[in-house]
Amino acid sequence: MTSENMVELKNITKKFGKDTAVNNLNLTVKAGEFLTLLGPSGCGKTTTLRMIAGFEKPTEGEVWINDQQVANVEPYKREVNTVFQSYSLFPHMNVFDNVAFGLKMKKTGKEEIAERVMNALKLVQLEGYIDRKPKQLSGGQQQRIAIARAIVNNPKVLLLDEPLGALDLKLRKQMQMELKHLQQSLGITFIYVTHDQEEALTMSDRIVVMNQGEIEQIGLPEEIYEKPTSKFVADFIGETNIFEGVVTNTQNEYADLNIDGVSIGIPKTISLVQDERVYMSIRPEKAKVSVTKDETAHLNGTLKEKIYVGSVTKIIVQLPNGREMVVNESGDSLRDVKAGNDVYVSWQPEETVVFKD
Amino acid sequence: MIKNIRLAYSMLSPSLIWLLLFLIVPIVMVTVISFTTNEGYGGIIYEFSTEAYETAFLSSMYLKVIWNSIVWAFIATIICLFLAYPFAYFIAHAGKWKNLLILLVMIPFWTNLLVRLYAWIILLNGEGVINNFLMDLGLISDPLTLMYTPASVILGMVYGFLPFMILPIYSSIEQLDKTYLEAAEDLGANPMKTFFTVTLPLTFPGILAGFIITFVPAVSVFVVTDLLTGSKLVMVGNVIRDAFLIEMNWQLGSALSILLMVLVLLSVLVFMKFTSSKDKNFLV
Repeated sequence: MTSENMVELKNITKKFGKDTAVNNLNLTVKAGEFLTLLGPSGCGKTTTLRMIAGFEKPTEGEVWINDQQVANVEPYKREVNTVFQSYSLFPHMNVFDNVAFGLKMKKTGKEEIAERVMNALKLVQLEGYIDRKPKQLSGGQQQRIAIARAIVNNPKVLLLDEPLGALDLKLRKQMQMELKHLQQSLGITFIYVTHDQEEALTMSDRIVVMNQGEIEQIGLPEEIYEKPTSKFVADFIGETNIFEGVVTNTQNEYADLNIDGVSIGIPKTISLVQDERVYMSIRPEKAKVSVTKDETAHLNGTLKEKIYVGSVTKIIVQLPNGREMVVNESGDSLRDVKAGNDVYVSWQPEETVVFKD
Repeated sequence: MIKNIRLAYSMLSPSLIWLLLFLIVPIVMVTVISFTTNEGYGGIIYEFSTEAYETAFLSSMYLKVIWNSIVWAFIATIICLFLAYPFAYFIAHAGKWKNLLILLVMIPFWTNLLVRLYAWIILLNGEGVINNFLMDLGLISDPLTLMYTPASVILGMVYGFLPFMILPIYSSIEQLDKTYLEAAEDLGANPMKTFFTVTLPLTFPGILAGFIITFVPAVSVFVVTDLLTGSKLVMVGNVIRDAFLIEMNWQLGSALSILLMVLVLLSVLVFMKFTSSKDKNFLV
């Protein structure tokens, strides 16, 4: 436990036949960190997790856990435990025996097993269920047992493969917070795989966004959301308006971006060259719609549709170049504005994110 | 609900009628015949008599034959189990060769057991392939008695019924969710421990099915004893056949059949009880 780095992946590549699941991936996970691998299905996030667990051997590269190269260490000798997507509780054992399994394998004494199992079950609030069989439990309860079965072993690293995927929304939200608190109180390194961006933003210390076997971006949740560095990340995380345009002027404080005839000022956060094609992204909640033109106004357009979704109203504005833009409004300043009315869309130029691909 | 039950019964009716005609009716007939009076020349006099059962129970020969049959069939079934499990495990993990290997297991089924047992005679005979080979090597000077022994009967049964054991076990190993094995490994179980704590208990239904469908036909088989011991050793199958066809004593044949059925049922129940006493949940 001398090192800050609990898990290190060095130039990891995994091929299944001709398909490359993970391509030359480098990643360092710090001790005590809650790190999430986020991406669409088939992006290589689960394969990456399975290589840390040892179920898959990397085609190339090295896996280091707690300063040891583990490429040739079998899964059962690694100091990591996994919470599986399907829970994989042993159907022929009751809850107690399921949770005790790892300790029994390590030949822990009977009394210590009983004590640690009960403590683990207390953590997940299921200490009254020791005699039940997995199939007598609800999905949420099975999930908790799966977590208890893993953490009872005091692993250096806990790997979680979409553990909340099978639960309904409300239970999922509740379990997200419980898992986060559990991780904080135990201080165990969590590596969490999910395709749910909201889940990733809620729980993680850092997020690794993956796409087609490669890392698109690593960062804090705020960074990933506010400062995506690629079109993929901006598009995958949350809702946004992405426009492609041509840089027409880089002389002023803001560069000008021509999007099919509409010119918009963008911040020069990345180096921009005249006539270059780049993308800009503006989140729906960062922009606002008004009927009167003010000085920050960027665009004029026609209100196409208002969609009430509860906490906000989504305003869809048709721009003169034919594109549509979504803006979230929380007030009722547009109550009297109807579809077909002329409106103005405005935002602070600093809220715009610019990227090249 | 009632509509659904009616639909269910109407869809079941072909198999129910089949079972009624060819299972229930024959059993009732055999039971009835076993309690009738023997006319002497194969005829049946419909008068109540327990003579057949008295013969079966009072003559130590019949009980001994039934006992031998159960013991031999049991030994053969256990040998089948130990041969079949590793083989089924291997097939289940053979990837693209799976189907071919299963086909190889099935192929012997396409030939009658009788014909296949003749092949064993050629191998086991006094002047057979094995004895000649061993004598040519100078390992033995006189031919070994490979036939006419209980061992040869058990060999024939193992040979004949091994596929019955392989197939259900294979199917249970094949259907085993591999993530259970990964979970065990993840929790520190080496491959050996994973096998005994997870694979074996979870494939137990396959073992049980294999046991029953191997043991039951093995108990009543008579071609094996006919061919491999030249009828010097008899199993209950031989005795029942002879009672019906040679001695023309249908009552005795029926009584022995009923007795066998009850004993087989009991031994299967005992086996199930014995193997599942610790964890009944396998069967649920």
